[in-house]
Amino acid sequence: MSTAKTQAVLAMHEVHKTYRLGAHVIPALQGVDLSVQRGELLALTGPSGSGKSTILNLAGLIDTPDSGDILLDGQPVNGLGEVQRTLLRRDAMGFVFQSFNLVPVMTVYENVEYPLFIAGVPPAERRDRVTAQLQAVGLQDHARHRPDALSGGQRQRVAIARALVKRPKLVIADEPTASLDSHTADQVLELMRERGHAEGAAFVIATHDSRLSSRCDRVLALCDGSLS
Amino acid sequence: MNFMWLKFAVQNTLRNRRRSLVTVSIAALGTAGILLAGGFALYTYQSLAEAAARDGGHLVLGKPDQFTRDEETPLQHGLDDVTALRAQLLADPQVRSVLPKIEFSGLISNGDKSVVMMGLGVEPDAEFSVKGPFLTLKAGQVLGGDAKQPEVMLGDALARNLKASPGSSLTLLASTADGALNALDVQVKAVFSTGVPEMDKRLVYTDIATAQRLLGTQKVSSLGVFLSRMEQTLPSQARLAAANPKLTVQTWEDQAFFYKSVRDLYNRIFGALGLIIGVIVVFVVTNAMSMAIIERTREIGTLRALGTLPAQLLRTLALEGMVLGGVGALVGAALSLAVSVFLYAVPIDMPPPPGRSVGYPLHITIDPLMYLATLSAMVLLTMAASAWVARRTVNMPVVDALAHT
Repeated sequence: MSTAKTQAVLAMHEVHKTYRLGAHVIPALQGVDLSVQRGELLALTGPSGSGKSTILNLAGLIDTPDSGDILLDGQPVNGLGEVQRTLLRRDAMGFVFQSFNLVPVMTVYENVEYPLFIAGVPPAERRDRVTAQLQAVGLQDHARHRPDALSGGQRQRVAIARALVKRPKLVIADEPTASLDSHTADQVLELMRERGHAEGAAFVIATHDSRLSSRCDRVLALCDGSLS
Repeated sequence: MNFMWLKFAVQNTLRNRRRSLVTVSIAALGTAGILLAGGFALYTYQSLAEAAARDGGHLVLGKPDQFTRDEETPLQHGLDDVTALRAQLLADPQVRSVLPKIEFSGLISNGDKSVVMMGLGVEPDAEFSVKGPFLTLKAGQVLGGDAKQPEVMLGDALARNLKASPGSSLTLLASTADGALNALDVQVKAVFSTGVPEMDKRLVYTDIATAQRLLGTQKVSSLGVFLSRMEQTLPSQARLAAANPKLTVQTWEDQAFFYKSVRDLYNRIFGALGLIIGVIVVFVVTNAMSMAIIERTREIGTLRALGTLPAQLLRTLALEGMVLGGVGALVGAALSLAVSVFLYAVPIDMPPPPGRSVGYPLHITIDPLMYLATLSAMVLLTMAASAWVARRTVNMPVVDALAHT
């Protein structure tokens, strides 16, 4: 294994994944090899059904491959149980969803604080980190607002703050700009790039948006479950 | 417990306020229903227990055969010369009074008509001062201990049957302890009602001396022991039984067949009622939680993706059920408390129960233990029900939960 691979935040080797739809077996990934370096923004592009979301699910440890190896920070994660995978997600990963997936009954502050709370971070440290993160995404004045009082771009900023507040090694972002207008999408992408580099987090971003992918560090195109 | 989970649970219950309000209202009404029904049953038990203890004494002493075998002749199993025994019993610091009683039966006649009677010989002065106003006097005055001639008090239906009133002369007829027939002229001192029409048709009160003269004996049927406090019944029973090994000492409960029947009946009725109400409340909370969880499946998937353990989600969803059930139970308890206090302040009479001629006040006992047990049961049941309905969703694959629409 090369040095680059051992330093990769995420590595996938010969990963296969199929889905069953009734009697039909649908191949979603066919021998994917992939590595993502620390602080890198990797864009996954491809048409619907090409396997982008499947890669994100596997990288985010919310799904398991049929075969192949997945390594997080050099450690294999295939054999981990559900609790260990959950704890890994809690401690080392952030998620940004297309439709933001903020908790509507929580304030902006509470949404960003939540990952630290479940990780058992002490209240004083939580306060400092959440405040700093909200300042970084420019939402310090909206800390007491509920998500439904924010615009789409602001909600996605909250989601980015929530993903980065625990200083993850890897952020999984599924179509993060698909629900945003082009101007807001540019701002959100710039924010992800800036915050990702500042926090040292790698981003794996699935997107249809060519303007977004062109501004990532690396772009991988998927077609029929294979990387081109 | 970290209060953030509780805060999150409270916030979640406020998402759909109308649904939560309906759920809390039903839990409140259910809890109030259980507490009011339970309080009414407790008041009934306490009233019947006090009436039973007041009627015959907290403890009743007699020869063993008095309680187990039928008599062939009157007072066959009665107690002889109870003076020494009364003195010994009265020496006990817990004993407030000892009252002898003679139970007999026979006929009572006005010269034209004879009617079957049930007689009770008592010590009038002590009986009425110890027991208080346990009879409703319709006419005349209660028996006195210093009557110059034999006197009786009649149940009102019996007096009506014999066309008797205070001052009327009647004749008692009964078998003596030797088996002979004896008659005794008596004067009616008062007419009373026990509140039980069947008793009022037959019951005759007289003093011990008159009863003994009629029955031709110095015996009494039993001694009723009145204690300072109801709670002293069982310890005193053990103490008196040890001091009088040749006698049987029964408690008021042993003698109170009506009390036991009512308690058994009410326990079943109100137990079933409580169970039904409890099941309804649990179903309502379960239904509300099921809807809330289905609506939030995607959010649960998000929280799982962020690293929340299923056990943590289960806990917060159980807390959510606890908030709904707990708030409902607290409101219900407050409602029950208000109704109970109101009924003490503004008495409302219940209609006479079957077999009785007078009603009774509708009071609801406020029992802290019952309140605590009901609130705890509501909270635990709603928590358990919520956790049960949440268990599948929080354990479903994160991918499936996130894809839920």
